[in-house]
This record gives sequence, C-alpha cells and structure tokens, in this order.
Amino acid sequence: MAKIVLTVDDSASIRQMVAFTLKSAGYEVVEAVDGADGLQKAKAKAVNLILSDQNMPKMDGITMIKELRALPQYKTVPILMLTTESGETMKSQGKAAGATGWLVKPFDPQKLLEVVKKVIG
Amino acid sequence: MSEHGFEEVLAPNQYYDRQFNVDAVKILPGEYYVTRRDMLVVTVLGSCVAACIRDRSNGIGGMNHFMLPDSGQGSDPLSNSARYGSYAMEMLLNQLLKLGAKRQNLEAKVFGGGNVMKHFTVHNVGQRNSTFALDYLKTEKIKVVASDLEGIYPRKVYFFPKTGKVLIKRLRNIHNTTIYERESEYSSRLQQSPIAGDVELF
Repeated sequence: MAKIVLTVDDSASIRQMVAFTLKSAGYEVVEAVDGADGLQKAKAKAVNLILSDQNMPKMDGITMIKELRALPQYKTVPILMLTTESGETMKSQGKAAGATGWLVKPFDPQKLLEVVKKVIG
Repeated sequence: MSEHGFEEVLAPNQYYDRQFNVDAVKILPGEYYVTRRDMLVVTVLGSCVAACIRDRSNGIGGMNHFMLPDSGQGSDPLSNSARYGSYAMEMLLNQLLKLGAKRQNLEAKVFGGGNVMKHFTVHNVGQRNSTFALDYLKTEKIKVVASDLEGIYPRKVYFFPKTGKVLIKRLRNIHNTTIYERESEYSSRLQQSPIAGDVELF
C-alpha cells in the first residue's frame, strides 16, 4: 500500500510541484493550504509523513508541529519543513518544536525524494 | 553577499527621490522589497519581469525583479525555471504576509518581459518570463489588475505601494549598456547555480 504524505503549503504552485514529485515515485499525496488545514487533515486521515511550509496564513508550520506533537498518533511521525526560511534561529525553533528535518526552497526534486525515502522508505 | 547564486535578497539601495519628494528604494535583478510605508519602489526592466503586489485594504505592498534561469525545458513542471520562478515569487509573498498583508486581499500589477536581450541564445526570454508571472499569479489566485509586458523597449517602473499607483516610462533611447549588463550577469549567475536550497536532517 502506498505511503501517504501530507503536503502543507499556502502556495498552490508548490503543492502542485511537491505532489508531482512524490506521486511520480508512488506516494499518495494529501494537500492542505495552511497549518490549521494541515492539522485537520492529519487528524482526519493517518499519514506517514508531513511536509510543511513555515509562513502560512491562519497557522504557521512550527505552530502546527507543536499541535501535532501533542497528539498521541503524531508523536513520532516524521515532519519535514520545506520553506524559504534558511536562518538558524528559525531552524532551531523548528527542531525544538519537533521537526525531523529542514529543507530550504527552492527544492531539488531528486533531493526531496531521497530525503522522503530516507525517513519513510 | 548570498551563499547561493540564486538567492533573492531584500533590496538595500534606499534614497530620497527629489522628483516625487518621497523615500525610495531601487530594486536590481534578483532583489525584492516590501513596505508598509508611503514610499516609492523603482526598478528598470529589460527582459526581466517585476510583480508589484499589494494588499488593497491596508496598502502593504512590494515588488520583485526576476527572470527564469533556463530556456529549453518546455512545460516541465519541475524545471529549474518553474522552481526558481515560484521561489522568487514566494519570497515576495512571504514578506508581504509577514508585514501584515492578507493573502485574500492581494492584487498584482506585472511589468517587463521585453525582447531586449538580442545576444541571448533564445529570443523569447522576455515572453517566457511574462508568461510565467501571469500563470503563477493565476495558479495562486492573485488578481492581476494591470500589466505592461513584452514589446521591444526596456521600462522604468515607479510603484507606490500605499496607493497601488504605477508609472511606466518606456526607455526608447538608452545611453549605456547598464541594463543589459546587469541582466546578463544575473542570468549567468542563475545558470551557474544549482537551483536547490540546503537540506538538513535533525
């Protein structure tokens, strides 16, 4: 059965590119438009990996990670940040919140697939 | 100085514009600027495009200035051009949202994409930049309320984010090669840089 990745980004262009990359490698992709939507979608359907932007309306990526890590079913599910933010301070905040890794945009499709395979197979 | 050749940076060139009696910032290729203030944002475009985007309810607005790095990858949704163009636009949009703009209130004016770089390998570079900007804004559901794209002349763009007003000067007589040199330098920087950010697993 295909592993499920939840991609959370307010940019439809990025969601399309991420979905295209991951679907071509056999993953099922669920999309969410911001952190609040991501949280709701993750609660509604168990996913194997969450790939999230940081700067989004309603709820940002790090806040979403904190909310997800408080849920028993998402204590250990990998959460990767995919963001334009490259500063060490923001990265440290993400790590402290429970992020598994930090990918800076623009993403390389091959590198993204390598990382996804590494964390969920 | 940015670590990667592709990185978009906040425009550092601020000055006082005596013609309009207002603080101003000049944007060069690969730069962007966003402000809450009543000021002027200026750029000169050859084949690059600039998106002037603002929140129509609170006047927070900004401008970028970019071109796509390559030419031959057609409709590949993961091409360097698609990924870099999206990145350049997202840098501007993120800064707008950080300053308090709301996504649903955003509107755009798009300029540039002239066919002015005769020595480029492909002659439709301006058209590709224009098409990308319009397609991106359509995908992101950001309304384009005005545009002046393509053609044969470079343009000077004056953007007043607070009101949304834009003045365009078509540069029919260029007395030096600065525009072309800046765009060529930017283009070769993009082509030499892998369009990929850093990856770190914790």
